[in-house]
Amino acid sequence: MSFRKLLLALCFAASGALADGYVIGHVTVNVAPEEVREIFLGNMQFAGSRRLVPVHNSAVQGAFLYAVVRMDPDRYADLWLKKSFREGVMPPPVMLGDAEVLDFVRRTPGAIGYVGTNPGSANIILKY
Amino acid sequence: MRFMNGLFLAGLVMATPALADDAARIRELERKLERSMQLIDELSAKVQRLEQGAAAQAQAPAVPAAAEQQARVEALERQVDQLGTGLSRRSLEEAAQLRGFADVGFGYSGENNPAFGRGRKGFGVGNVDLYLTPRLGDRIRTLIELTFEIEDGRTEADLERVQLGYAFNDAATAWLGRFHTPYGYWNTATHHGAQLQTSILRPRFLDFEEHTGVLPAHTIGAWLAGSAPTAPGRLGYDLYLGNSPRIDVTPADGGKLRLQPEGGTDHAPLYGFNAWLEPRAVEGLRLGVHGLRGTVEDNATPASHRTRLGFYGGHAVFADGRWEVMAEYFRFQNRDLWGGTGTHRSWAGYLQAGYRIGLATPYLRLENAQLSQADNYFATQRFGRSYRRAALGLRYDLDPRAALKAELIGTDQDDVGTANDRYGEARFQYSIRF
Repeated sequence: MSFRKLLLALCFAASGALADGYVIGHVTVNVAPEEVREIFLGNMQFAGSRRLVPVHNSAVQGAFLYAVVRMDPDRYADLWLKKSFREGVMPPPVMLGDAEVLDFVRRTPGAIGYVGTNPGSANIILKY
Repeated sequence: MRFMNGLFLAGLVMATPALADDAARIRELERKLERSMQLIDELSAKVQRLEQGAAAQAQAPAVPAAAEQQARVEALERQVDQLGTGLSRRSLEEAAQLRGFADVGFGYSGENNPAFGRGRKGFGVGNVDLYLTPRLGDRIRTLIELTFEIEDGRTEADLERVQLGYAFNDAATAWLGRFHTPYGYWNTATHHGAQLQTSILRPRFLDFEEHTGVLPAHTIGAWLAGSAPTAPGRLGYDLYLGNSPRIDVTPADGGKLRLQPEGGTDHAPLYGFNAWLEPRAVEGLRLGVHGLRGTVEDNATPASHRTRLGFYGGHAVFADGRWEVMAEYFRFQNRDLWGGTGTHRSWAGYLQAGYRIGLATPYLRLENAQLSQADNYFATQRFGRSYRRAALGLRYDLDPRAALKAELIGTDQDDVGTANDRYGEARFQYSIRF
């Protein structure tokens, strides 16, 4: 392997390691990984009869939006502003970090959030 | 002897208080002793109970006591969790933030014709729009919007939207109240939020009823809306039913559509639909069709005109964060229910394209409305005249919440008392959201 390929491989591995995150849900949340994007875009607000309560994590919000919602933060904010004005719905609230998200998701039926570190025994919906 | 008697008497007088003090002290000591005895009795009983308990505990196996303690701890944890959950949900749900928009600016209009007179020039205040979206539970939805704007030198407050809704699921949310009539795209996407829209002006025929609009931008009634994922993409719909507006021909500046916020003595319904698809294959694309029917009467004397308003059309929107391309088309087939002149056909549409380069978005819009003057619905409205318009503008985002816009507009209009009227406008706007 040439030095250049080795460097590229290392960069790719490093970027993958940095981008790691976990979407977690309350034990009552049973959604498919591909539905996470729709939930955070406000298109999917119910799973069966249960209302979903998505929450953001300010510590890793940018990486989550790029990786899962596939949108930059400005466009995401703009989209929610229009949605809120049009449909009367509010964007997901923002929590301060992994600990707060973990605690909220564990305690709140329907809650779904994401963390940057391995959440252990939490209900993991998607690893990104 | 007399001296001795005196001394005795004096000693007796002095000793009397001392004797009284001793008696009181003895009574106090007796009370204390009594209390001490009671305390000793109570302590003895307590020691006895503890000894009996310890003996029983020694006889019983240790596991149930530990299990009981564990159960108590778990019950306490559950209670604390429930309290925490309740408080978190309440704080999320009851947070009703006041949001809104405001805009100011200046402009120059070269308009000068018999129908509209001379155009306005100078500085102006647009509107201040406030809206609230309090969530009162899992399924109850509310949206309240209040707008303040200057009209003919007076500040007018207008209850733009009062919608009370219930979300059954993602595919069905029912609303009652006053809402933005969900036809096409523009009317529900931006409405009074000037900062939301790329351009300064709305397409003229899609403007509000109190300005230059010729369509019912608001409806008072019931609205069912929702969307669902399907194989080709997300499919959405709107179905609505409400009061038809009336045309008020009495104002000095000509006829305008007026809503019927309290219904009418002879209620005429208005109903319509809007259906759209966001294809999976092209991110940011939305395609839709819409239709509306209603019966609109004016208040002309001696006899009012009555028209069956009917239009259908479609829209296509592409917005990927860099490009914003929008097109809408409306085809009218209005039937005269008063004079028996038949059905009159008209059409209106626009195409707008903008491209974001950093913080700047240059844009261009072309509008065309060919509105039949044999149709009472258009002929009795001040702005129900045919026109063509081109707008070229530049938007610059100072901040995600504040934008500067400059727009040059050229309008070519018919049916204004001269064969053809052309004029230019220049506008500047500073708009914010909060």
